[in-house]
Amino acid sequence: MLDRTPDFPSPVREVGPSQKFRTATGGLIDRRRARDFTFDGRTLTGYHGDTLASALLVNGVRLVGRSFKYHRPRGILSAGSEEPNALVELRSGSRREPNTRATMAELYEGLEATSQNRWPSLSMDALSVNALLSPIFAAGFYYKTFMWPASLWEKLYEPMIRRAAGLGRAADAPDPDTYEHAHAHCDVLVIGGGPAGLSAALTAGRSGARVILVDEDFCLGGRLLAERREIDGVSGPEWVEQAVAELKNLPEVRLLSRTTLFGVYDHGAYGAVERVSDHVAVPAPHAPRQRLWRIVAKRAVLAAGAIERPHVFGGNDRPGVMLAGAVRTYLNRYGVLPGEAPAVFTSSDDGWRTVADIAAAGGRVAAVVDSRLDVPVPLRRMAEAAGAQVVAGGQVIGTRGHLALSGIDVRDSYGSTLRIACDTLAMANGWNPVVHLDSHLSRRPVWDEAIHGFVPGQLPTGMVAAGAASGRLTLSDALESGARLGAEAAESCDFRATATATPRTDPESTAHTPLWRVAKPKGKAFVDFQNDVAASDVELAHREGFRAVELLKRYTTLGMATDQGKTSNLAGLSIMAELTGQKIPAVGTTVFRPPFTPVAIGAFAGHHRGKEFRATRHVPSHAWCLENNAQFLETGLWLRPAYFPRAGETDWLQTVVREVETVRGKVGLCDVSTFGKIDIQGRDALAFIERVCANPFGTLKVGRSRYALLLREDGFVLDDGTVSRLADSHFVMTASTANAARVMQHLEFCRQWLWPALDVQMVSVSEQWAQYAVAGPRARDVLRRIVDPGFDLSNEAFPFLGAAEITVGGGIPARLFRISFSGELAYEIAVPAGYGDAAWRAILQAGLPYGICPYGAEALSVMRIEKGHAAGAEINGQTTARDLALGGMLAKKKDYVGRLMKERPALTDPDRPILVGFRPVDPSQRLRAGAHFLAVGAEPSLAADEGTMTSVAYSPSLKHWIGLGLIRRGHERHGERVRAYDPVRGGDVEVEIGAAAFVDPAGERMHG
Amino acid sequence: MAEHATLWRPRGAWDLYAQAGRHGRREGPAGVTVTPREGLALMSVTAVDGAEDRLAAAIRDRLSLSLPEPGAALFSGETGLIWSGPGQWLALAPARGDLDGLGAAVTALAAVADQSDGRAVLRLSGPDARRVLEKGVSVDLHPRRFGPGRTAVTSVAHIGVQLWQRDDGPTYEIAVARSFAGSLWSWLEEAAAEFGCEMRAGG
Repeated sequence: MLDRTPDFPSPVREVGPSQKFRTATGGLIDRRRARDFTFDGRTLTGYHGDTLASALLVNGVRLVGRSFKYHRPRGILSAGSEEPNALVELRSGSRREPNTRATMAELYEGLEATSQNRWPSLSMDALSVNALLSPIFAAGFYYKTFMWPASLWEKLYEPMIRRAAGLGRAADAPDPDTYEHAHAHCDVLVIGGGPAGLSAALTAGRSGARVILVDEDFCLGGRLLAERREIDGVSGPEWVEQAVAELKNLPEVRLLSRTTLFGVYDHGAYGAVERVSDHVAVPAPHAPRQRLWRIVAKRAVLAAGAIERPHVFGGNDRPGVMLAGAVRTYLNRYGVLPGEAPAVFTSSDDGWRTVADIAAAGGRVAAVVDSRLDVPVPLRRMAEAAGAQVVAGGQVIGTRGHLALSGIDVRDSYGSTLRIACDTLAMANGWNPVVHLDSHLSRRPVWDEAIHGFVPGQLPTGMVAAGAASGRLTLSDALESGARLGAEAAESCDFRATATATPRTDPESTAHTPLWRVAKPKGKAFVDFQNDVAASDVELAHREGFRAVELLKRYTTLGMATDQGKTSNLAGLSIMAELTGQKIPAVGTTVFRPPFTPVAIGAFAGHHRGKEFRATRHVPSHAWCLENNAQFLETGLWLRPAYFPRAGETDWLQTVVREVETVRGKVGLCDVSTFGKIDIQGRDALAFIERVCANPFGTLKVGRSRYALLLREDGFVLDDGTVSRLADSHFVMTASTANAARVMQHLEFCRQWLWPALDVQMVSVSEQWAQYAVAGPRARDVLRRIVDPGFDLSNEAFPFLGAAEITVGGGIPARLFRISFSGELAYEIAVPAGYGDAAWRAILQAGLPYGICPYGAEALSVMRIEKGHAAGAEINGQTTARDLALGGMLAKKKDYVGRLMKERPALTDPDRPILVGFRPVDPSQRLRAGAHFLAVGAEPSLAADEGTMTSVAYSPSLKHWIGLGLIRRGHERHGERVRAYDPVRGGDVEVEIGAAAFVDPAGERMHG
Repeated sequence: MAEHATLWRPRGAWDLYAQAGRHGRREGPAGVTVTPREGLALMSVTAVDGAEDRLAAAIRDRLSLSLPEPGAALFSGETGLIWSGPGQWLALAPARGDLDGLGAAVTALAAVADQSDGRAVLRLSGPDARRVLEKGVSVDLHPRRFGPGRTAVTSVAHIGVQLWQRDDGPTYEIAVARSFAGSLWSWLEEAAAEFGCEMRAGG
């Protein structure tokens, strides 16, 4: 076996009698390892090394699914990732996965596959009646039909379309598997492990460059596994085996098979998905199901190969009609015979290989139809020796059979129609280079007349194309260009590389005269199999004027299925070219977008599912909070304790009221570590603070704190906090939880960009300090038992707005600030975060005699509303200092950020809403934040709107609801009554305007 | 002060999240060994503009280390200086208090702020340490690009981290803001599971 990627142990078991179409010998399957699987509940057997597609074919299963629009029977077209037809549901239950290409699903023991898009069964599908209505369902059907009446859209049309559309069912339970991300870097990235890619990896790898080779297959080798070719006298697979063995011995080469490179991004970044465990029923313990790679490469060699083109003729979608290259893949790689009577329809010498391969495997060929009149004599002789009827200059115009092919109608060069019995038809109409990846950065492919196909145009920086992906379709060219470009890529990364002599290969021909579509087909001739777009739909688009390539695409949905038109785009363009009398390149081409093939959303999510969707930050008291039934609140990334219910408390409000009453009556403890803390030092630190804060600081003494108001450059309020002076040139500034990062960024901008000459050093110390508010009339009593002896806590020695560096717990450095958000006698004590847990427990213990309780973010918020302090709901980026009734504290005698811009006329308009307090006239009524203020009796209208309620709370102190809000000229209207109108929640409450501070308006308590 | 000794014990940044013992794959030797680095002394050092040369001399006197270039980390035994931004370094020493007096030693040349409790640090070693980190770190950790004495300020699982390599074992150390320790450990445990991960007791 070529596959040396780690495999999971599996039993060796002799195979039973099925597998009717298996060749006697040969192929890269392991005949000692049988694999049982089920398809639509029927148990079948294949071998290790099979795909689901090859295992179905070997058991004679031709009908695999139903098509998207017409529910036509469909089989297997290809042997690779371009497959448009054979889409199945894989696995079951929570692992059920729709739209899996049977051609890419590796067979494993117990694999469960189910056909999709059919009801009640695959062979008898009710919606296939759509096929009879196909004249109605032509391109533009939905646009034309569901236009009117518009009222029917939501209730009728949309549900109906949704039921009919879509393929397969997603799992209805969470995915039990894990997905992960990984990063990789290399000098040379090789995309594709066929002859060109392996050659590139070898020459680059031998130079010592770091090489990553990715290939979507589970075996490296590409077409070398599928064709009977010779390189330097050994078979293709043997050459691959030698190449892979050498690559595995190169320490800086990493081979990623089962890995699809799905996207090309700027600056040499690539996205790839590795199907780590898709080839086993259940991932091995601790193995992810898939791994999403971000690869950064200096150079890339695109060696993604080419995709064969189908012919466009009547009934070309019948199960049994396949790409000729796929027929050879199934025969040579998987040992699957192409039915009992295969026929070949070709427009190139390449298609005749199929005849030779079938003959070599001992099979008979029913017919060869070549659209070219001149067929080389040796090819004709070889076919006739295999028993084939040869029709030169003929075209297949139609197919017979219902659920599987039974015969073809051929128009010969004289115009007569022949009927030929066959059960497989191999189509060979040339190859299209895979130009998807190189066009991800909006670079358009260009037309190459020699191969009648698009080849890469200007490639993304650092990328070169080799082999078939560059339009060099022969094996010898693939080997030569791969080796040469691999060496050049390594050289450009400063490695010494040499391209070895190109190996000798057996002769090959690229003679090809493409047949873009068959004239006068019998029945629907499909262009895009996955989206059921026929040649007649392209004609309709032409007739109706949708001729530009982007319009053609959207009108017909050509190329818009999950396969992005890998087998169909060129056929559609060529028909439009014919209809408009243009050459194909003049019609143009659409570009491709990532991903190359569909990628599961789980792979993108990786680790970030559920609670890991984003990171969570925990406060220093988190362990205690968990132990004590705290209820949490998400604030940005922080998980903050919101309140601490006690036994018997049934309602959050009951708990919050108790917490507020305890703080106002006794003492409480609150974790405020989430605030930002910025350490500011330097000779010019005070000057810097003066410039960033709107209120004056010149008189701030060492050992004192002050409220700090920061404006943005545009004059609106940025944030508020405190600044404390710890030493002559050492300050610490706090910022609100929500704005902590933004304030730091703002200060860094000011320091680095506005005033680089100032001697200021700043660093965030937010995480260093656990900071707790100890608030309430007994706060000082509690802290006396916490602060080490020797520090005088008396009001005289440490008054309101004092700040000090102290010690606790017998010498642990700490900081103490006498600041109050609650309006009570309050302190904030900061200890190194490692002692945060200990300090929390110590303070609660010390406070026991005083009836201390912890309080959370909810109680904190209630108390700040009772005090009329603006917070996030008011400092919302749209309010000025004057709006927030803080105009009086703005400095008059200094310059600061935002000083001039805050004077703009609209910001000083006396009619602007101003922050005031509101109480319900009827104290039993509840207030709602978000309510709009209207004059009593006014009709609700935008013009009548006077402002909004920004924050509300039930005030335990006043025993009724209170609110803060912004209302026009609010400061002049104390005592006036207005409506708080809230139509969303049906609220309409009469409220009275008053001062924002509801509790202790003179602020006596915090000074006590 | 007996009461203090029992009550005022520091809590490790990883205590709540990472249990000592084997995580992930149980068979065979652990691919990754993780050691929480508790009790370190960490100080951020921010140079006064234009004083870098004098700062370098003062630091050499105090720590016997040069000021590392951008992207570099210098160690003398377990004491080190790690570049962490333009004009900024992280000084590291094995025990709390080891860097006391650093601020006074560089007065007027740099601002020093204690970060000993602000960062949670893990040491990662073992044959698969690099493969684990590559799942989260977008920086190239290949020995040709990153090795002992290199550092990067980057992110893992959307969490800002600072990473430096100690030796070519390879041994790495990764520092994260303390409040993120739980989320970082959750990522690490999952990323290391396939290799088997031995979590040592803190030290």
